[in-house]
Amino acid sequence: MNKRPVTILIFPLLVLGLFSCSPKNITGKYYYENEQTLNRIEKSYKELYHQKPFTVAFTAKDFKTISLEIITDTLSYIYEFSLDESRLADTLVKYGLPAPGLLELIREMQSIRCTWVNMLDYYVDQKKNNMVFMSVKAVAVNPFSYKKYYILAYFSQPQSFDKNGNLLDKRATRRLRKINGQTFKRINDKVCYTISGHFR
Amino acid sequence: MTCSNVLFLPLLFKIKKDPVFLQQVLALYLSPKNIHPTIFLISFIPLNKQPVKQNTVTVRSYALKYALLTGLILLSFLRGHGQFASPRDSGVTSTRQQAIDFLNEIKELAPSRAWPNIKPALFLQNLRTSVEQPISIYPGNGTNFCGYGALTYLFLRDDPLGFAKLLLQLYREGTGSFGKTIFTPSDPVKKTAGLLRFKGVLDIRPAEQLWFLCLADHYKGYLNFFNRHYDPDDEDSFWASVNYSKFNRMLRKLLRYKVKARGADLIRPRVGDRYKYISEKMKTGTVVLYINNRIVHKKNHVSIKLGFPTHFIVAERISLENGLITLIYWDYGSRTQLQLSPAFFKRVIYGITYCSKKGHDE
Repeated sequence: MNKRPVTILIFPLLVLGLFSCSPKNITGKYYYENEQTLNRIEKSYKELYHQKPFTVAFTAKDFKTISLEIITDTLSYIYEFSLDESRLADTLVKYGLPAPGLLELIREMQSIRCTWVNMLDYYVDQKKNNMVFMSVKAVAVNPFSYKKYYILAYFSQPQSFDKNGNLLDKRATRRLRKINGQTFKRINDKVCYTISGHFR
Repeated sequence: MTCSNVLFLPLLFKIKKDPVFLQQVLALYLSPKNIHPTIFLISFIPLNKQPVKQNTVTVRSYALKYALLTGLILLSFLRGHGQFASPRDSGVTSTRQQAIDFLNEIKELAPSRAWPNIKPALFLQNLRTSVEQPISIYPGNGTNFCGYGALTYLFLRDDPLGFAKLLLQLYREGTGSFGKTIFTPSDPVKKTAGLLRFKGVLDIRPAEQLWFLCLADHYKGYLNFFNRHYDPDDEDSFWASVNYSKFNRMLRKLLRYKVKARGADLIRPRVGDRYKYISEKMKTGTVVLYINNRIVHKKNHVSIKLGFPTHFIVAERISLENGLITLIYWDYGSRTQLQLSPAFFKRVIYGITYCSKKGHDE
């Protein structure tokens, strides 16, 4: 049997598959499609964080294992839990974390494959500010691509962007701001995104 | 007398009989790089006796010896292995109070011509914070400064006055010396210090920026081979990377510790039970661990993780309970407690550096 026609058919299909769902296609839409859930996670995390600082990351592909970092004045505690483990709730209570709110946050993160939520410090004119940093393992991203995480940065104040929508350090300097080594694009005045190979 | 000293006894007799041999010994011992004891011993295979007939067997044995010697020299550079006394391990280490008193005498600092982007008041404030709270040392978000951070943490715990004096000298004169090390930072580094941004609290710590940039500019290892000169954003690149051998070299050159290193960049340490070894060493000194942070702090969901170390941490406390190891360590401006199984603990550790004061080593 002549295999050549089959090869000729498979090759363009593969190429199409590689480029059909490039990161650029999903980034603009993703936020608006999941806006309510994403904003709920951001708001809930901010509120819970101010009660007791912590970060949550889903460390396994099946989104059933979390890494929980509890930050105190003297020590940060890192624990890994399976979501069905009873010691998760026990640990939250032990460290004085608001267990029902945090468990609800984890459930919500799991529902949209949000891999990590964290509070990051940044400085403008030597004044400390903070922003919520959230990463999502978006299914729509090209499976062959190295960059598989959709990263969102939520600022408290409106930010400056250049004419191409790139996040700037300050309006006056025109220097691009990098967060974790990545440049970010505008979604709205306070929210911007990037695509990355790492969720943190 | 230790075992290694006994081994050297027959050599002493040979040195007595043969002055050329003594010359070889001295040349090897006084060479600028530290030499692994095994290489040192192999070098005593007589070189001066020239064979009367250059038959095949003699040539082969000489070739074999030199191949072995070269191999071991290369290995000693790649691995962070060895137990050598620091050239500066004599003398008294300073106290935190001495450093605070020294800094309190400085009421105002003039702007430095060498470091045009460093604000003097902020520099002094940062130096005070570092001396008073060594734990607060922060190598920066997303940088490759973690090795320099761990080194600085140890430096500040051991000799805060020396650290403060060195940084002030660097700030005022643009160069600085400590022991036999002379820092002459390059112009790009001098222009960058004070301007690093988006690195967390490091943004407002010009003294730490200056210091980390100086260290990365001065010490070079094989990871820095293709990027030896600073360009903007190189603090996140291979320019700033620290391999295990380089880290131990920096410790030996700068700190008044005896440094004993086990492990390598790609080979895990052969010390038997790691928990037992580390907890024993922590009783008499400080232990720095070189770990694969990509599996401790996962950054993606890739199933196959490359097995190489990426991060330096300073072990503060370790215990074993119910089959779980609890490790408290310093990194990035705070202490962290992590629980891990002995198997995982074994998997993540690539280097164990034991720093001790004279008289405390085994």
